[in-house]
Amino acid sequence: MLTKFETKSNRVKGLSFHPRRPWILASLHSGVIQMWDYRMGTLLDRFDEHDGPVRGVHFHATQPLFVSGGDDYKIKVWNYKTHRCLFTLHGHLDYIRTVQFHHEYPWIVSASDDQTIRIWNWQSRTCVAVLTGHNHYVMCASFHPKEDLVVSASLDQTVRVWDIGALRKKTVSPADDILRLTQMNTDLFGGVDAVVKYVLEGHDRGVNWASFHPSLPLIVSGADDRQVKLWRMNDTKAWEVDTLRGHMNNVSCVMFHAKQDIIVSNSEDKSIRIWDATKRTGIQTFRREHDRFWILAAHPEMNLLAAGHDSGMIVFKLERERPAFCVSGDTVFYVKDRFLRFYEYSTQKEVQVAPIRRPGSVSLNQSPRTLSYSPTENAVLICSDADGGSYELYIVPKDSAGRSDYLQEAKKGAGGSAVFVARNRFAVLEKSSNQVLVRNLKNEIVKKSPLPIATDAIYYAGTGNLLCKAEDRVAIYDLQQRLVLGELQTPAVKYVVWSTDMESVALLSKHAVVIASKKLVHRCTLHETIRVKSGAWDENGVFIYTTLNHMKYCLPNGDSGIIKTLDVPIYITRVVGNNIFCLDRDGKNKLIAVDASEYIFKLALLRKRYGPCYDGNIQIAVASAKEIDDKDHWYRLGIEALRQGNVGIVEYAYQRTKNFERLAFLYLITGYLDKVGFMCKIAGQNNNLMGQFHNALYLGDAKKRVEILENAGQLPLAYVTAVTHGLTEIAERIAAELGENVPALPEGKSHSLLIPPAPLTACGDWPLLRVMRGIFEGGLDATGRAELEEDDEAAGADWGDEDLDIVDASEVVANGGDGFVDVEEGEPNEEDGEEGGWDLEDLELPPETETPKAAGNARSAVFVAPTPGIPVSQIWTQRSSLAGEHAAAGNFDTAMRLLSRQLGIKNFAPLKPLFLDLHMGSHTYLRALAAAPVISVAVEKGWSESASPNVRGPPALVFSFSQLEDRLKAAYKATTEGKFPEALRQEVDEVKELIEIVREYVLGLKMELKRKELKDDVTRQQELAAYFTNCKLQRVHMRLVLASAMALCFKQRNYATAAHFARMLLENSPQEAQARKARQVMQACQDKEDSHQLNYDFRNPFVVCGATYVPIYRGQKGDVSCPYCGSRFVPSIEGQLCTICELATVGADASGLLCSPTQLR
Amino acid sequence: MATPDLLFNLRNLFYLGAYQAAINNSDVPGLDADAATERDTIVFRSYIALGSYQLVISEIDSSAATSLQAVKLLALYLTGDKEGAISSLKEWLSDSAIGSNPVLRLIAGIIFMHGQDYNEALKHTHSGGTLDLHALNVQIFIKMHRSDYAEKQLKIMQQIDEDHTLTQLANAWLDIAVGGSKIREAYLIFQDFAEKYPMTGMVLNGKAVCCMHMGSFEEAETLLLEALNKDAKDPETLANLIVCNLHLGKPSSRFLSQLKLSHPDHVLVKNAASSDANFERALQAVA
Repeated sequence: MLTKFETKSNRVKGLSFHPRRPWILASLHSGVIQMWDYRMGTLLDRFDEHDGPVRGVHFHATQPLFVSGGDDYKIKVWNYKTHRCLFTLHGHLDYIRTVQFHHEYPWIVSASDDQTIRIWNWQSRTCVAVLTGHNHYVMCASFHPKEDLVVSASLDQTVRVWDIGALRKKTVSPADDILRLTQMNTDLFGGVDAVVKYVLEGHDRGVNWASFHPSLPLIVSGADDRQVKLWRMNDTKAWEVDTLRGHMNNVSCVMFHAKQDIIVSNSEDKSIRIWDATKRTGIQTFRREHDRFWILAAHPEMNLLAAGHDSGMIVFKLERERPAFCVSGDTVFYVKDRFLRFYEYSTQKEVQVAPIRRPGSVSLNQSPRTLSYSPTENAVLICSDADGGSYELYIVPKDSAGRSDYLQEAKKGAGGSAVFVARNRFAVLEKSSNQVLVRNLKNEIVKKSPLPIATDAIYYAGTGNLLCKAEDRVAIYDLQQRLVLGELQTPAVKYVVWSTDMESVALLSKHAVVIASKKLVHRCTLHETIRVKSGAWDENGVFIYTTLNHMKYCLPNGDSGIIKTLDVPIYITRVVGNNIFCLDRDGKNKLIAVDASEYIFKLALLRKRYGPCYDGNIQIAVASAKEIDDKDHWYRLGIEALRQGNVGIVEYAYQRTKNFERLAFLYLITGYLDKVGFMCKIAGQNNNLMGQFHNALYLGDAKKRVEILENAGQLPLAYVTAVTHGLTEIAERIAAELGENVPALPEGKSHSLLIPPAPLTACGDWPLLRVMRGIFEGGLDATGRAELEEDDEAAGADWGDEDLDIVDASEVVANGGDGFVDVEEGEPNEEDGEEGGWDLEDLELPPETETPKAAGNARSAVFVAPTPGIPVSQIWTQRSSLAGEHAAAGNFDTAMRLLSRQLGIKNFAPLKPLFLDLHMGSHTYLRALAAAPVISVAVEKGWSESASPNVRGPPALVFSFSQLEDRLKAAYKATTEGKFPEALRQEVDEVKELIEIVREYVLGLKMELKRKELKDDVTRQQELAAYFTNCKLQRVHMRLVLASAMALCFKQRNYATAAHFARMLLENSPQEAQARKARQVMQACQDKEDSHQLNYDFRNPFVVCGATYVPIYRGQKGDVSCPYCGSRFVPSIEGQLCTICELATVGADASGLLCSPTQLR
Repeated sequence: MATPDLLFNLRNLFYLGAYQAAINNSDVPGLDADAATERDTIVFRSYIALGSYQLVISEIDSSAATSLQAVKLLALYLTGDKEGAISSLKEWLSDSAIGSNPVLRLIAGIIFMHGQDYNEALKHTHSGGTLDLHALNVQIFIKMHRSDYAEKQLKIMQQIDEDHTLTQLANAWLDIAVGGSKIREAYLIFQDFAEKYPMTGMVLNGKAVCCMHMGSFEEAETLLLEALNKDAKDPETLANLIVCNLHLGKPSSRFLSQLKLSHPDHVLVKNAASSDANFERALQAVA
C-alpha cells in the first residue's frame, strides 16, 4: 500500500472523491464534513450543520454539489462553491447510513435505519420512491453505474437488488408532477416504481455493505459474519459464487477495484484486505494498530482509494503507476503491458521490442521498477520487487525490434537494485552484505566490491562508477579505484537524473530536488510541499521537473518557477528546447510543448553571458540583450560574439554600447575601410580628436591627419607630418603660419611611412564548427554503431562475392597451421595430448602465487615454447595468384613472376613504387606494452561484422579501381575537359576497359608527338594524323584530332582525305565554329584528288602498330600484340618491350589479366 | 570497505600511453614501500617510453630495488648497450635471490622480444605472476602468430581481473590480431577507454587501427590526425597515417620522411628499406 495522504480526526464514517479535482470529502462521527485537497494535503473547507454523526456523503459527478446524510435523519445538499447547504430533504425516520447521487438523473438514493431506501429528486426536492422490504436497518444502498438497478445491504442478513426501470421511464416520459406526487403517496410502502428483483441470502449476520461490479454482473458484500461474499446475477436470477474468509471481525465495507481484477475490503478488525477476484484468494493485508475501519471509497477515474477509520482517514493506492523507463540517446526504453518498448524522439515512433516475464506470484507491486540499458550491447536490465527484489537481463537481438513472436529466456538474479556500470557490466546490490556484485552479460560474477556507505539503492554515475543511496546521503563510488569520489547529505533519494554531459546530477527525493555536480558538490536544494515525480535536463543546464500537479524549472542557482499546471502526474523523460517528452501513467509517450522563454531569459540574466547559455544560438542572446538593453549585457554579448566570430553581432553590440574605438578597430581588421572613414567623421563630430586621429591613422590618410593636427592647434606636428608625407603645399602653408617656429627635421635619418596595408577582401562571420560531446551511450553507440553499419554496407556492395574466397583461405590456415604444428611436435594425431603440454601444467598455477625461488633455472629447463605460427602475409601468398596481393605480402619475386606469366610483363622498374606502396600499406601498427616492440597487424579486405575471427581474408590493397578511375579523369582533364564514362560495371571488365582506353590514348598521343618531331616529312605527318583519328577517343578529343588532321591534309592539298575528315568531323557533332570550318573544307575539296599518296585507307578497317605506327589492315596476317595492354604490332616487333605500356613483352605467352579474386573461383 | 587502490590512476595512465601524465601524477601520498617501488617502476618505465633513457640510467643508482635495476637494464639496452644489458640480465636471472622478480622477468621478456628471441623471452615470462607478465605473453604470442596461446594467457588475465585496464587492452590486441568480428569488440574496448579516461595517442591509434581493419580509412584518418595533434612525433601515429593515406590514395611521403627522421628504427621504416632491396633482388631473380 502506498499511502498518499493521511488525516487525523474524529471517526470517519463517510468518504467521497471528487471526480476531477484532487479533493475528498470525509464525514465524521462528530457531525463535521471535511473537504481535503489530498494532493496538497490541505483542509479546504468544513461543513458543520448536521446534528450528530454524518455517515453518508457523496460528490455530484458534474455539478458543484455534494450530498450528506446523518443521524439527524436529514439529507442535505450542499454547494461547495458557495459553501452553503442548498436544502434539506426530510422523510427518513431514523439514522441515514448512505447517500449517493445518480450519475445521470437528478436522483439521490439514501439508506436508513428506518428499514427503507429512498430515491429523491434533488431538483424538485421531493422523494420519488420509497423502497421497502428490508426488515432491519438498511446499511447501504447504491445505484448501478449503468443499469436501472439499486443494490442494498441490511442487518436483516440479506442483500437486495432493486429494479428501478419503471421509475426511470416515468422520469424520462413527461409527466405531471402533481400526478407523480399522488402516485408516490399511493406507492408508499410497496409502490411499483421500484421492485425487488433479487434477495441474496447467505450471510449469517447482518450485512454492512454491498456494491456492484463496474462492468460485470457481479455483486460483492461484507457482513458481520466476517465474510465477504461474491454474487452473480443474470436476467432472471442471482446466486452466491464464493465466500472470502479472512477478516477477524465485522466487515464494514467492500468493493471491486475499478481497473484491476481485485476486491478491496475493510473491517473492524483494523485491516484492509486485497483479494484476487478471479482466484478468490487474499493477496495482501494492511493493518492499523488501533483503528477500526469503517468505510472505503474508490476514485471514479484514478487509481486511488481512501479508507476511513477511528481516528482519521488515509488516501492510498495499491500499486505504483510510474512506468519503468530509461533514456538512451534518441530513445526511451520503457515497460508497458508486459512488453519492453522503445520510443524514438526524433520520429515519435513507438516500437515493441520484447515481451518480459510475468511475475510468478499474484501479489501487488511486482511490475518493473527500474530499467537500465546498455546501448552497445542492446541489453536491458529490469528490476522489480518480485521475489523480494530481483532483476532480469534481456539481451535484445538488433533485428528483433517489432517482432512480437520473439521470446527470450531472461537471465535472472536476486537483488532489487541493479544497474549497468559499463557497456557489458552491471552491478547488483546485495543489501545483506552491503556490497555490489559486478556481473557480465552472461550473468556471471566478475567482481565483488564492498560499498562505502550503508546502501539501499544504486544508480548509474558514469562508466565504472556507482551512485550509492543511503537513508540520509548519497555517495559516488569508483568501483575500480575503490574510492569515494563524492558524498552528499540529502533527504532519501528516489530518482537520479544526470545531465547529458554528465556534469550535473539531480537527486529527486519525495519532497526535494537536490542539484549537485558530478562529484556531488552541492549546488542547490528545492523543497516542494507535494511529491516530486520526475525530471530531465534541458540543453542549457536548466532542470525541468514535475511534481504531482506542476511542471517546474530549476536554474543552476536554485531559482525555480512553475512552467505549467498538470491535471495528471506525468514522468518527464527528455527536454528538447520547448518540447517536453514524457510518459503518462498508462505508459503512453506524450509531447508537451511549453513556453521556455521565461526560464531561458532568467538563465541569461543569471549567467550574464550569452555564449555558453545559448551554445551557439547567439541570435536568441541578441534578442534577450535587446530586452534587457543594458550596457553591461551588450558588452558581454560583444565579447561572446567576438569569440564566436559573429562579426555582425559584434558590430551591433559595439554600436549599442557606443564603443566607437572598438568599433573602428573592428571595421579596420575586417576590412571595411569605408566604415572606418565614417567612424573618423563621427569622432570629428563628437570632438574626439584622439579618436579621429586614430581612425585617420588606420586609414593611412596623411592629409586628414595633418588637418586634424592643424585643427587641434598642433601646428609643428602637422608640419612634420606634412613634410614627411611629401605634402609640400600644405607644409609650406603651415610653415608660413608657423613663421620662425618651423621645427627642424632630423637630418640624415631615413623615414618609413606608416601606411596600413590595404585589405584584400572584407570579411564576414567566421564559419562555425559544431562539436558534439559524447557520453557513455551517445558516443559509443551513435558514432560506433552507425559508422560500422555504414562500413558494413559499403563492404557488401564492393566485395559482395568474396565469402567463398575467405573460406578457402581459412582452410589454408587451418590445414597449414595444423600441419605445421603436427610436424614440429611429432604428435600427428594427438591434438589433446598436445593441448596438455607445458601450458596447462604451468597455467594451473594460481596466478598470484610467487614463482618459487630459484625458479629461473627450473623454468628454462621445463619450458618449451610453442613454434611460431604462420604470418598472415604468408597466408596471403599461399593461395593467391593476384600479383597485387603477393606484392602486399612483400613477396615481390612471386608477384613479378605472376605478372610475367599473366601479362608477359618484362619491365618491372616502373612498378617499383606501386609494389613498395602495396607492401607498406599492408600492415597497421599497434603499440602494446610500453617499450616492447610494436605489433604489426595485416590489413584484410572486405571486413564485415559477421566475419569469423581467425579466418584470414585477402589483403586490403592500397590501390583500388576508384583510384585508377580518378587518375584517368585527371588525364582526361589534362587533354581537355572530358567527362568520365558512365556508371561502373564489373570490376574486371572495368579494369580491362580502362586499360584499353588508356592504351588508345597512349598510342594516339605518342603518334602525335612523333608527328610533331617530323617537321619535313609531310606525308608521314599526314599519315600519323590520320592514324590518330583511328584511335578510340572521347568525342571531344576525337573532334580535336579530326580537325587537326583535316587542316593538315587540306594544307597539303590532299583534298579527298581532308574531305573525309571533314565528313567525320561533322558526324561527331562538332561545335558551330568547327562545323562551319568542316563545311567550308568539304566545299573546297569537292571532287578534288589527293596530291600525296598516303598509307591510309579509311574504307579498310585497320589498327595501328604501336611501335612503327603503320596500319595493320584487317586480314593482314601475322601481327602480334602486347599481353598487358593489348596494343598491336607488326611481326618484327615480337619479343621487344611493348612501347605503349612499357611493361610487357610483345607477343609473350600470357594467361591474361588477373585483378580480382572473383576471377579465381 | 576495501582499501583504495592508490596507484590505480597512475597505472592506467601508464598502460594507456599517457606517459607524461603518469610522471606528472606520480606524487601519490600514503604509499607503503612496495607500492612506492611500483610507483617508481611505472615512472621510470614511462620515461623509457618517452625515450629519456639517459635520465633513467642516471637516476637509478645501484642501491635501488631490483625492479628499478631491471628497468635501468632496459634503458641501457635501448640506448644501444645490448650486449652489456643482456649479459647482466642473464646473470641476474640465474641468481636465485632475484631471478624470479616479476619486473626483472618482464624486462627480460621485453629485451629478448626486441631481439626477436621469443623462445628466450617466453622462458622467463611464460609462468606469469603479474598482469604485466601475462600481457607481455599475449603480445609475444601475437607476434609469434599463435593467437591460440595468446588467448589462453588472456583467459588467465580475465580470471585475475577482467576489468583491469591491462586485461582489456590485451583483449583488444588479441581481438585485432585474430580479426573478423573481433575487430569491432576491440574498437569498443578502445571506445570505452576513450570515454572513461583522458584520450591518449595510444587509444586513438587503437581505434584507428580497428577502423582501418574494418575498412573505414576516412574515420581512421580523422582519429590519427587527432593523435598527431597530441604528439606530432609519435611513431605509431606516423606509421599508421602512412598506411592510412596509402589506402586513401593520399600522399604519405611527408609522414614517411618524418618517421624516418624521428624513428629510423621503426618497423615500417626498416620494412621500407628492406623491401626496396627485396625489389631489386626480385628484379634480378625474375630477369
